[in-house]
Amino acid sequence: MNDDPKTKHFLNRAAFGPAPGLKTPVNTPTWIKSASHNRPIDVIPAVDGTAMTPDQRSPKDAKTRRSKFLDELTQLNTTWISQMVLPETLWREKMTLFWHDHFACRVRSAFLSQQLNNTIRREALGSFGDLLKAVSKDPAMLQFLNNQQNKKNSPNENFAREVLELFTLGRGHYTEADIKNGARAFTGWAFNPKMDAFVFRPRVHDEGSKTFKGKTGNFSGDDILHILLEDRQTAQFITEKIWRYFVHEGPPDTDIVSSLAKDFFRSDYDIHKLMTTVFSSTWFYEQRFAGNRIKSPVELLAGMLTQTGGRFEDARAALFFQRALSQVLFQPPNVGGWPTGTAWIDSSSLTFRMTMPALIFKNLTTEYVPKDDGDANNATNKAATRNLNCTVDWASLAQQFTKASTDETLAVVEDYLLATPTTAANRKLVATQASRSTRDDDWMKQAFTAFMSLPEYQLS
Amino acid sequence: MTSRRNFLKQSLLGATGSLLVPTFLKAFENPNAFAETNDKILVVVQLSGGNDGLNTIVPYRNDLYYQHRPSLAIAADRVLKVSDELGFHPALAPLQGLYDQGYLGVLNNVGYPNPDRSHFRSMDIWQTASPDRYLQTGWIGRYLDANCPGCSVADQAIEVDDTLSLALKGDNIKGLAMKDPRKLHNAVHNSFFHDVAQNNTTEGVNDPSLHYLYKTIAETVSSADFLYQKVGASTAGPDYPQSDFSKKLKTVAQLIHARVPTRVYYVSMAGFDTHVNQQAQHQRLLQLYSEGLTAFVEDLDQGDRMKDVLIMTFSEFGRRVAQNASGGTDHGTANNLFVVTKHLKQKGFLNATPDLLKLDNGDLIHQLDFRSVYATILDRWLEVTPKKILPDAHPTLDFI
Repeated sequence: MNDDPKTKHFLNRAAFGPAPGLKTPVNTPTWIKSASHNRPIDVIPAVDGTAMTPDQRSPKDAKTRRSKFLDELTQLNTTWISQMVLPETLWREKMTLFWHDHFACRVRSAFLSQQLNNTIRREALGSFGDLLKAVSKDPAMLQFLNNQQNKKNSPNENFAREVLELFTLGRGHYTEADIKNGARAFTGWAFNPKMDAFVFRPRVHDEGSKTFKGKTGNFSGDDILHILLEDRQTAQFITEKIWRYFVHEGPPDTDIVSSLAKDFFRSDYDIHKLMTTVFSSTWFYEQRFAGNRIKSPVELLAGMLTQTGGRFEDARAALFFQRALSQVLFQPPNVGGWPTGTAWIDSSSLTFRMTMPALIFKNLTTEYVPKDDGDANNATNKAATRNLNCTVDWASLAQQFTKASTDETLAVVEDYLLATPTTAANRKLVATQASRSTRDDDWMKQAFTAFMSLPEYQLS
Repeated sequence: MTSRRNFLKQSLLGATGSLLVPTFLKAFENPNAFAETNDKILVVVQLSGGNDGLNTIVPYRNDLYYQHRPSLAIAADRVLKVSDELGFHPALAPLQGLYDQGYLGVLNNVGYPNPDRSHFRSMDIWQTASPDRYLQTGWIGRYLDANCPGCSVADQAIEVDDTLSLALKGDNIKGLAMKDPRKLHNAVHNSFFHDVAQNNTTEGVNDPSLHYLYKTIAETVSSADFLYQKVGASTAGPDYPQSDFSKKLKTVAQLIHARVPTRVYYVSMAGFDTHVNQQAQHQRLLQLYSEGLTAFVEDLDQGDRMKDVLIMTFSEFGRRVAQNASGGTDHGTANNLFVVTKHLKQKGFLNATPDLLKLDNGDLIHQLDFRSVYATILDRWLEVTPKKILPDAHPTLDFI
């Protein structure tokens, strides 16, 4: 690859595609540094100590609460979408999105979700060990995985099971006895009534001796995490996942992945170092890994915003698109996270994805109704907006991209928007679409919208 | 009548477009392609939100039921009694009609081990048929994958909705979601989408992801044209009650009457999450459900298609046995499941009444794994081996 295609591929994977006005080629370490700003989200106030119990359900309260949930979830969700595409936070946000899926968590309180999200954001580029420890002590995760109910006399294994299966070792690298004993070590891990801090409750902690991964002792929860981090399999498991997300979804290149995992382990799980190695390698830029990753709905949406510099007139539009395409931030389907690859694509989702640019940029309306998940308390079921429009400075994009000839302009826009070239037939369709307008800014809008409506735009 | 194979051959020569997938066509040349195996059709009805099974099929002789639900229980004199122990909610009179005709089988206490009380997780468990592992494919999707290798026909399973449920997603083949054939046809034709489909081919597209995208586009256009052509010619059919649910069932009936080769239909109805003031809401929902269902059965019967249809109704969980403080019920566990067909070997209530004496923390304990019901339907109705479709082996039942 030449420098410009390399930059494009790098930005497709490390961000959500190239943005207007960015000088190419970019120097990757410099770009990473400039896009790593940590900006915590602070839009949801803390819950008061008298948080309601599930039994306080007067109809009126339920209604007020539902609308409060709706407001808060919408606000949190849409704030993150807007922040995700800011130049100074892009890289940290992309990694936060990756870990948001790895440490998938779904709780009702928007405050708890915000708190965990900020924990992940803070540790996203540091050491995986610190990230793991912070997430494992975060109130949202402890609540989601029922560790509040994990007590000496009635252990609950949910938390321990997911820590082993999904967060560190992966399936097949532990025994049921490891889970049982691990769960005993995590007894007493809880959070305070204000739900903003971890607390350890010694009275419900099991002080007995435990055997975990072949070691025996009076282990605490911290000891268990320590043992898991001492296991090279954790480095291998995380590296494979990084590989599948940032490099290639197909079968991993075992030699490269094990060598990356070895370095990751030796570096004390330095995420920044691992990612820098990936992006500075020659194999990352091989043609076989470029332009063939199916974007998740959030990546698709963030890409459209990044690449146009657009802003929704009504922020709730972002939530509508997430619901329509079945990926709502803060609401993963389960602790295993979202599906990947072709699982996102079926007849209806692809038809919708290819219509989306016209809904956002050309004021087209839709009757498409996202599915109701049946949960009367899931406020997002009711979230609706008819205004799906995005404000875009098309004139400035026209200025940036217009070349001497129409063909040249189309080629430049295509190269900018698409990770992989489209067909001659589609180029003709785009040209026809754009040729209907006479004004420069409108021409650019038509061209952008048409290119974004192609199957190739589904790939990064 | 145009068969799918002929339709495709005609399309190749005709105006449908240049975009046709070779493997797609090959499947129809294959005499073993599963559209030909039998004429049996499965219709799955999903009640989203957790239907209150105890107020649906009411144990009206059980004192414990009345003790647990002082203001929410259905009074014995209002219950539509059909056995010494059980009767229907008063809004289910139409369903009782199906019971009287011998078309209804009720399975009680259906669930799975270590029940999950969250909507999304429990629904995923039912749709993937996998309580232990998180899967990206659903049981109907895997049925498509396993029984028509090399064939990629989206409309072998149709969900009447804008979005496709996980249940209908296979690794290689996914079902088709649509509100009705006309809308699908319009959506596909009045758009840039159609231009892209018309002007491209999958030939020479080597990258697997890109190939998959173009293949999906081709299948969508082809399915939209085929279904529209088939149903466009069929008559309007009898009246249904006014509801979104009935409208969906009517679309299914039109497709069945039009003899499209679809083997599985999927329809859902939401609103069953009755935490607050359950009574009126539940009454309304059960009425919409049972009226819609019986209109559907009558419609199919009139066209002599009911003989080929089995309808299974499920919900992701039941409600807790005791009512809560807001005149509603919270998330529970085991629940009843309905099977409606003319081919029941055992009719009515097929197993034991829920045991309200032996509860697990106030919840019913499941007696029958839902995967046994799936296995039975796959094995005895769709006549395919459940082995490749369901992750673990489950005994089949004798009701069909």
